[in-house]
Amino acid sequence: MSRSALQLLDLHKSFGATPIIRGVNLDVREGERHAIIGPNGAGKSTLFHLVSGRFPVTSGEVRLKGESITGLAPFMINRRGLSRSFQVTNIFPRLSVFENIRCGVLWSLGYKYSFWNMVERARDARERSESILKQINLASRRDVPAGVLSYAEQRALEIGITIAGGADVIMLDEPTAGMSHSETDHAVELIRRVTEGKTLIIVEHDMGVVFNLADRISVLVYGQVIATDTPERIRANAAVQEAYLGTATAEHEDA
Amino acid sequence: MSAGSGGRWHYAQWVVAALAVAVLPYVFTSGASITMMSLMGFAIIFALSYNMLLGQAGMLSFGHAVYYGLGGFMTAHALNVIGAEKLPIPLPVLPLVGGLAGLSFALIFGWVSTKRSGTAFAMISLGIGELVAACSLILRGFFGGEGGISTSRTSTLRLFGISFGPQIQVYYLIAVWCLLCVAAMYAFTRTPLGRMCNAVRDNPERAEFVGYSTQMVRFIAFCVSGFFAGVAGGLAAIHYEIVTSSVVGAVPSGFVLLMAYIGGIAFFIGPIIGAVLMTALQISLSDYTGAWLLYIGLMFIFVVMYAPWGLAGLLLMHQPLLAAGTFRRVLPAYALALLPVLMLAAGVVLLVETCHHLLVKASEGPAMRVLWIDYQANSPLAWAGILMLLAAGIFAVRRVAPRVAEAFHAAAQEALRRRAEP
Repeated sequence: MSRSALQLLDLHKSFGATPIIRGVNLDVREGERHAIIGPNGAGKSTLFHLVSGRFPVTSGEVRLKGESITGLAPFMINRRGLSRSFQVTNIFPRLSVFENIRCGVLWSLGYKYSFWNMVERARDARERSESILKQINLASRRDVPAGVLSYAEQRALEIGITIAGGADVIMLDEPTAGMSHSETDHAVELIRRVTEGKTLIIVEHDMGVVFNLADRISVLVYGQVIATDTPERIRANAAVQEAYLGTATAEHEDA
Repeated sequence: MSAGSGGRWHYAQWVVAALAVAVLPYVFTSGASITMMSLMGFAIIFALSYNMLLGQAGMLSFGHAVYYGLGGFMTAHALNVIGAEKLPIPLPVLPLVGGLAGLSFALIFGWVSTKRSGTAFAMISLGIGELVAACSLILRGFFGGEGGISTSRTSTLRLFGISFGPQIQVYYLIAVWCLLCVAAMYAFTRTPLGRMCNAVRDNPERAEFVGYSTQMVRFIAFCVSGFFAGVAGGLAAIHYEIVTSSVVGAVPSGFVLLMAYIGGIAFFIGPIIGAVLMTALQISLSDYTGAWLLYIGLMFIFVVMYAPWGLAGLLLMHQPLLAAGTFRRVLPAYALALLPVLMLAAGVVLLVETCHHLLVKASEGPAMRVLWIDYQANSPLAWAGILMLLAAGIFAVRRVAPRVAEAFHAAAQEALRRRAEP
């Protein structure tokens, strides 16, 4: 079996006296596509924020490729090869689409805080950004300010920025939220393509997307993982059906 | 747009700018205008350095004169040491002392203030500004107390027989430094860090998730900005040959904000326009009226409310129209708006000047002259005239404004349509 990409060990998070994440253990293997599902308010987004360093953890440990990243700032975690997207589109609205991607590329190519070389002359950054623009089908919108893109285009750009730095662990927070059916199909295709050979952790409400994409699924209910297994076994799991899936799969099969 | 032709066009712009700066003293030959252009030179550097923070990295500073003023003081002290010790250092390198002083203090104060962003950063910058201003009155040895630090720029090592006594020689010194700094600051905007400053301004959270520490980005930008502010302060010290404690105070900190904002913080050229205009106004307007600061304040309010992209924004929004050849279509509307705008402006000027005369110059009696009109400041007839002019101006501007906006919109749409056609 392959090595572990991301490990969560007895992770806890409380806001004031309110526990939101109550002892989560998770082990995502390298190259796996892992989906996290669960009812609203289960703590899926909070879990993402804890792993990516946006919120400090209350207790427990996060390990990326075997090394602890607990308590590190988001930019440190990103430099170690974990990149995430956001549920609410989080781009650089006044910069062009191309520049949005390039911002995601610069650090990983070693440009760091340099102010002694011209960014236009950075051929590697330009070529990498342009190849990512092609991958996310936004090459024709290259010089448009990102703020004027359509919603679906902004979601694609969000994924583009996330993968731009070449991180090998990608976390996507509801990438298809608010999309139409055809847009969702495109997005799933895009996610599959750009995360080829990488570890993917995805929070998603659309069960079609989840069962289509994931190798394994974890079900988060009230801040605890009640099951982690393959899609078929999760579908058959009685506890999961009771807690969450029962209604959702019924709806999905009706639809 | 290919990178090659764009690059060549950029170089051409710089050559034109350098030629213009070299030729200007032959066009405006009077001593007063050469002095004014010298002031504009370091005002441009100061305003651009400020905009590195506000326009590019989204940091609103109320204490930028700290780095300008301390750069000036260090330059003056360095000049005095060089003069007394007969050190073989020529004057043209002295602004570098100012720059390094600005950089050093930015390293210290920036380390504290860039730990925060937004409102907290603005408050800390205000606090540091007040702190240094208070120190300038206490530390008399360094700041020279009420009299300030006097110096002489002519006592340095002479190269090629240039004494830097005549103002024209100082003008060229300032002009060369100004061109170098403008070019360097422009180049900064196109570096990886310069682009990440924009990213941090737009969305600091996301910048953290693409591997950049927003605090470090802000800190480095702050230090670079402090360096250029210090260079500007050093040039000011060389120009005036005196630095007083008022240069580190709140007034120049506020003035540089006005220069950058009125010029337009979203454009690189904005603060240059702002610095040139505001310096000209500061000097020429203060000859005509004691209420000149009030006009600058009114202009600031106008820009904030009606032209948030500044004067550069107002100018550059016509660029697509000019390129597509639809600019002529807005001219009738502009001509129509000219009279109402002039009426309103005249009304405001008459009102301000009359109030100013009654409140400040009451001892000179009521007789006054504004805009080539002689009248009595306390005459009811004059007041009625002023208020009527003002009311008519406001009414007419409000009537004509939608038509101007409509004409501009139509011309812009047409320009877009023409561009879309092959």
